[in-house]
Amino acid sequence: MDVALSRNGRRLMRVFFALVVVFLYAPIAILLVFSFNKASVPSFPLSGFTLRWYHDFIHNGAMRGALETSAMVAAVSSVIAVALGILASVALARRGFRGKGLVTALLLSPLVIPFVVLGIAMLLLFHVLGVSPSLETVTIGHVVIVLPYTILVIMPRLEQIDRSLAEAAYDLGAGPLRTFRWITFPLILPAILSAFLIGFTTSFDEYALTSFLIGTRQTFPIFLYSALRFPTQLPQVIAVAVVVLCASLVVIVAAEVWRRRAEARLEAA
Amino acid sequence: MGGTAAAPPRRRRRRPDLTTPGLLGLPVSWLVVFFVVPIAIVALYSFDVLALFPGPHGFTLAAWRMFLSGGPYLHLFLKSVEMSLTVSAIVVAVAYPLAYYLALSGTRRKYVLLLLLIAPFLTSYLLRVLAWSVILGDQGVVNSFLFWTGLRSPDHPLSFLLYSRFAVMLVLGYVWLPFVALPIFVTLETIDRGLLEAASDLYASRRQAFLRVTLPLSAPGVVAAFLFVFIPTVGEFVTPSLVGGTSGYMYGNQIVDLFGQGFPDWETGSVLALFLLVVVSVLTLVFVRFLRVGEARPA
Amino acid sequence: MDVEGEPFDRRLSRADMLKLGALAAGAGVVAGPAAAANAAISRLTAETGRLQVMDWAGYDNTMPHHAMFQAYLRKYPHNKPLFINMTNEANALAKIHAGAHPDLFRPYVGWVKYFAESGLVQPWDTTLISNFKYLNPFMVKAGQHNGKQYGIPDDWGFDAILYRKDKVHPKSRSWSLLYDDRYKGKISWYDDPVENLTIAGMLLGFKNPWNQTDAQLKQSKNFLISKKHLVKFIWESETQLDQAFASGDIWIALAWPYDWVLARKKYPVVYMHPHVGRQRPIAWVGMFMLLQNTPRFHLAHAYVDAWSSAKSGRWLEDNYGYGHANTLAKPSSSALLKALDLTNPRAVTLPNAYLDRDVPRRAVYAQLWDEVKAA
Repeated sequence: MDVALSRNGRRLMRVFFALVVVFLYAPIAILLVFSFNKASVPSFPLSGFTLRWYHDFIHNGAMRGALETSAMVAAVSSVIAVALGILASVALARRGFRGKGLVTALLLSPLVIPFVVLGIAMLLLFHVLGVSPSLETVTIGHVVIVLPYTILVIMPRLEQIDRSLAEAAYDLGAGPLRTFRWITFPLILPAILSAFLIGFTTSFDEYALTSFLIGTRQTFPIFLYSALRFPTQLPQVIAVAVVVLCASLVVIVAAEVWRRRAEARLEAA
Repeated sequence: MGGTAAAPPRRRRRRPDLTTPGLLGLPVSWLVVFFVVPIAIVALYSFDVLALFPGPHGFTLAAWRMFLSGGPYLHLFLKSVEMSLTVSAIVVAVAYPLAYYLALSGTRRKYVLLLLLIAPFLTSYLLRVLAWSVILGDQGVVNSFLFWTGLRSPDHPLSFLLYSRFAVMLVLGYVWLPFVALPIFVTLETIDRGLLEAASDLYASRRQAFLRVTLPLSAPGVVAAFLFVFIPTVGEFVTPSLVGGTSGYMYGNQIVDLFGQGFPDWETGSVLALFLLVVVSVLTLVFVRFLRVGEARPA
Repeated sequence: MDVEGEPFDRRLSRADMLKLGALAAGAGVVAGPAAAANAAISRLTAETGRLQVMDWAGYDNTMPHHAMFQAYLRKYPHNKPLFINMTNEANALAKIHAGAHPDLFRPYVGWVKYFAESGLVQPWDTTLISNFKYLNPFMVKAGQHNGKQYGIPDDWGFDAILYRKDKVHPKSRSWSLLYDDRYKGKISWYDDPVENLTIAGMLLGFKNPWNQTDAQLKQSKNFLISKKHLVKFIWESETQLDQAFASGDIWIALAWPYDWVLARKKYPVVYMHPHVGRQRPIAWVGMFMLLQNTPRFHLAHAYVDAWSSAKSGRWLEDNYGYGHANTLAKPSSSALLKALDLTNPRAVTLPNAYLDRDVPRRAVYAQLWDEVKAA
């Protein structure tokens, strides 16, 4: 007999799993439904189909501006974080050194710090330095919180790589930088891209930390948060929410599939 | 693997190893400047060594003493802890069967289903909270549906759904549930099936096998999952500010208000922030010790 | 041979170190241009003397057609003001202390005395403001300290009670409606320490609610805590309140005149000015203040003069729903006219209302309000 689950148990679990999945996706589905609803207040009964809200949000200059700003901040902060993450991962993937545990802890600690504390702390830092909150301060903050993710993604991949490949290059006379560039880097490229993607999505969606460091320009989450208080903007916000949520779901699935395929191919090569 | 002959004579003079500090220099400096130093500054504000407005100030524990002596802020902290504990317990209780099903039922599509479960967590946090605020209002989706189907009269909407502790806990639970299944899944996956088979060979019932083998072995995953949701939710302020109303006001909101509203009190705000950080750090250290994460040694 | 050794473990030569360093520093290049741009802007500001205005959100360059300061732009077309955001007066104070140097900013009337005595501001020269003579004399007086004009009034409004006539039946024209046990879960308070503790003090009959003693403040605070369970949420932004009224979540709230104008489009609502005993609504007035040692003295006056014109006033009333200090500015909406009691020049002062005023113990009020919220 299967000691883990009986047949009925399995059936029950399957139903439970399905219910939970429905619960998880229901709000997204509800938003989807109401994004096509004619009335400007989301409530039953439905009042007819319209594409108006999608049209409106595409032509909403402030919203577009916020989306662009978020994309820019996300791109810049992810590039910086990935670069720093590569450096850190290369150093940490080798043998131990004195203080390695402490350094690893430091590099990963932004993962556990509550954003309210980090936000306040950075706000005070910039206040003491006399720096005004701006997109630059937001970017700096995003690098701090994205960096641990990049290390968590890149370092395991580095450890996985067959050391003998790098050793062979070394034996053939290649210096460490050349070895990195021609051997290691291509092998960890999927992980790097994965890290960039994680960083991008984290930064793009980030509200909590950003709310402390933002100046007058708006990122998309900042725009959303204040738009939640404008009754007239709500339908457009719902439309753009649907687009963002569905797009990110597609991207997540596609990225995961692609990453596994790419790594499998590299292993086989 | 290479030979194991006697160590070769040291021919070269050891030059200082620049590689590791060289590589780590930038990332570590970034974090020191933008992470460690800011926290030190918070500490300085909490001791009134630094202050917002000019005037006499110097090292003092006054703000700390006032906070720890059991005033309203400590009380609010405990209230937030209570809310987080409840949410975490419920979420872990719901996630466990899900992870169990994925890991131990032998279903072939387990990674696909796992991705299906986790995917919402990787989409936008704010938008998922927004979705609930649309659903829960007095004229929101749930209530208007109830009016429409005649289950409730439009004069008596379910008011506790939004702007309440319930709303905060529901939304926080919803946000973290997908993520929490992961550590439990990983731990259950790595349980040696042989143990379960052995239990079966010894005529153990399913219940006994679960209680004596599976559950204890999955304990680290459960603890991990619990802390994965408890630690972030204790300091939460975004969800409470959107759906919490007056009764869903949490510790994180208080910190934000002390720095922003009315007449800011950076000294007290820093005390609250630092206290939260200390509590979270202690919990994390306990957790890390418990799991022996860090230098993974092959079994 | 060291078995654990790898190529990377070889000692890097100094040349390799430099190469690596350059690679890593590449990331820093991205931040470079942004910093350079900032430096360029500050140099530009000093050279051309661009006016720096610190104001609340919505009053800066995002304002449609720069409506409130069009006259200024016409006079100085090449000197568009540079705006610094303030989230509230305390935030402005903090920013000024942190090194921001706007030429003028806009706290509200309760802070006039504080800033006047702080040494951070200087009085205006009213002869340079052509529209000064049209401004409401009671508001003008409120902007004075020691006989000097420290604040030029601009926008204003009331704190009063907005309630649904069809759902709510107040026992009297009193602030007590905000604390009425019959309407649990349908009440919204405003997130401000002074308003709440002052109203509580008024209700409890204290002689000077703006300067309560410790014992009185304790009573006010405990009163608020005892009534907090009736409150659905505490509003911070007007549109949050408007949405809550529109969706029927809230029936009673401390609100401003425009909230009544919006709410009455959907529901039968009343904008009640409390009048029982010594209770009155509270009037708030925005005050332009001029910072000490500003190098753009005349530009600042021109800006404020543009703000003070009747045309600007009418725009403000029609678009933002606030009153304007210029007595000639009348809104298109008769509803707003009524809500602001604009035909009565004494609307903002006794016997009709309490003009918001200096709160000497503001920090204590703030702390106690935080305790109310935490409770």
